[in-house]
Amino acid sequence: MMQENISSMREVFGKLLASLGEKYEDLVVLTADVGDSTRASYFRERFPKRYFNVGISEQDLVDFAAGMAVTGVRPLVVNFGMFLMRAWEQIRNTIARMNLDVKFLVTHTGYSDSGDGSSHQVLEDVSLMRVLPNFKVVIPADPYDVMRSLEVVVREKGPLYYRMGRDYSPVVTKDFSYEFRIGQSAVLKEGEDLTIVGAGVVLWDAMQAAQELERMGINTAVINLLSVKPIEKDFGVLRQEDGESGYRRGAQCLRWHRFSGGGGLGQALSS
Amino acid sequence: MSFVVPMGDDVQPISLEELQKLKQIAERARKNVIRMLFYDQTIHVGSSLSSVEILTLLLSRARRDSRDPLNRDWIILSKGHAAPALYAILAEMGVIPKDELWKIQDINGLLQGHPETFIPGVDMSTGSLGQGLSFGGGIAMGIKMKGGNGKVFVIMGDGEQDEGQVWEAATHIAARKLDNVIGFIELNGYQLDGSVDEIKPKSYLREVWSAIGWNVLKADGHDITSLNAAIGEAVKSGKPSVILCNTLRGKGFPPIENTKKQRSSPDDARKYLVNA
Repeated sequence: MMQENISSMREVFGKLLASLGEKYEDLVVLTADVGDSTRASYFRERFPKRYFNVGISEQDLVDFAAGMAVTGVRPLVVNFGMFLMRAWEQIRNTIARMNLDVKFLVTHTGYSDSGDGSSHQVLEDVSLMRVLPNFKVVIPADPYDVMRSLEVVVREKGPLYYRMGRDYSPVVTKDFSYEFRIGQSAVLKEGEDLTIVGAGVVLWDAMQAAQELERMGINTAVINLLSVKPIEKDFGVLRQEDGESGYRRGAQCLRWHRFSGGGGLGQALSS
Repeated sequence: MSFVVPMGDDVQPISLEELQKLKQIAERARKNVIRMLFYDQTIHVGSSLSSVEILTLLLSRARRDSRDPLNRDWIILSKGHAAPALYAILAEMGVIPKDELWKIQDINGLLQGHPETFIPGVDMSTGSLGQGLSFGGGIAMGIKMKGGNGKVFVIMGDGEQDEGQVWEAATHIAARKLDNVIGFIELNGYQLDGSVDEIKPKSYLREVWSAIGWNVLKADGHDITSLNAAIGEAVKSGKPSVILCNTLRGKGFPPIENTKKQRSSPDDARKYLVNA
């Protein structure tokens, strides 16, 4: 099956980041020497004085951003997901513990950087970030989700982990009109028999699978779990007008994700 | 009183009267750290007594009352295990109630084993070593960006220099020429498991900090006048400065002074306090 309309998640992210810099003058962007690869460089080109490449030093990156946050600017830390995990302890002991208004906008997660090999592929980050007190975790499914969620995320108060891929990002949510808010998921397909819950780029595969299942006579719902933490009751998708949710509570639930099982999305759903 | 002076001016020297007052605060704080042993025997008394004079001087002269994050001074106790000294001095200054000192590390008390920002007077939650200098660098950058005049004081241990993050931060702060950062390294010669010399000698500190681009100064870490003079030099230097402070672990408490021992028995504490 051919994947259509593939565009790059980081390209969309980089351009949006630069435009948010225009709108919010208190935003600063920090990175550990991956400005070009993450496309944070687009922000640097527009706002060089509000852009900080700290060098290849992720631990310093996190605590330096923390320090900036207490002076009244709003730091956005942009890095590869994997290498940010090197500073998980700094994130835990300074950012989460002090509940600082620092956002982590990461790219290259999951297998999206397949070419660079296993050193660059982070499958554990959702598990690691979900468990931190005060943290929120948001995962856009495709570039259109980035467009509808990034500004909401930047405006949100408190620490937040925003998980993106690199280039691979088949279009899933282009034709949907939902707006994003923290805590809320989106129903991409309604169904009664089976519910597939996914987060990130795998939702494209989930949608293909749901179509296959339909052909087999299994009426399948697909839920885009953008807000992995927090998750509102019933995914926050109960429709106002008829009280319907688009999926059936208690239907068989299938989880689809590209990060490790233990502590990740599966755990989030079951708890 | 403050460490902020017009460009080129000297930090005001300490008058005899002020020195007397600060020495009294330090002495009372020292005794109260030792007295905490009655209530909890796991606190890091040795490391706390190493920091008493540095913290006394900073907490009394730094501008602490401003709500403006850019024009106040920040005191980061990166060696967070010296929290009892910080708490004892904050109590002397009326920032926290003295009664809380006797509930140190009690689950119902205010004062945690390591500094937390929900405690009045604490600027950074610390306890995991090596993180204070990066945080201080970030504050200094924020202040510079917006044209404030606040200074950032970061207190580290010599054992703490083992942490790689210290060097990430030191090179970063030097590269950005953040001359509003003043670091302190207490050279008390001990870390948790033993003497610094046995574990990883630190004879290189002066040369390495200097080579990175820091103004490296020396002070007697238990002599308030010496510390104030070094801060004066730091303020005038136009570079990020680090003050290597000769201190003693357990300073003034004979059962543990200048040993790797962090703590002693309540009985020892009682004997000391009766005679002191």
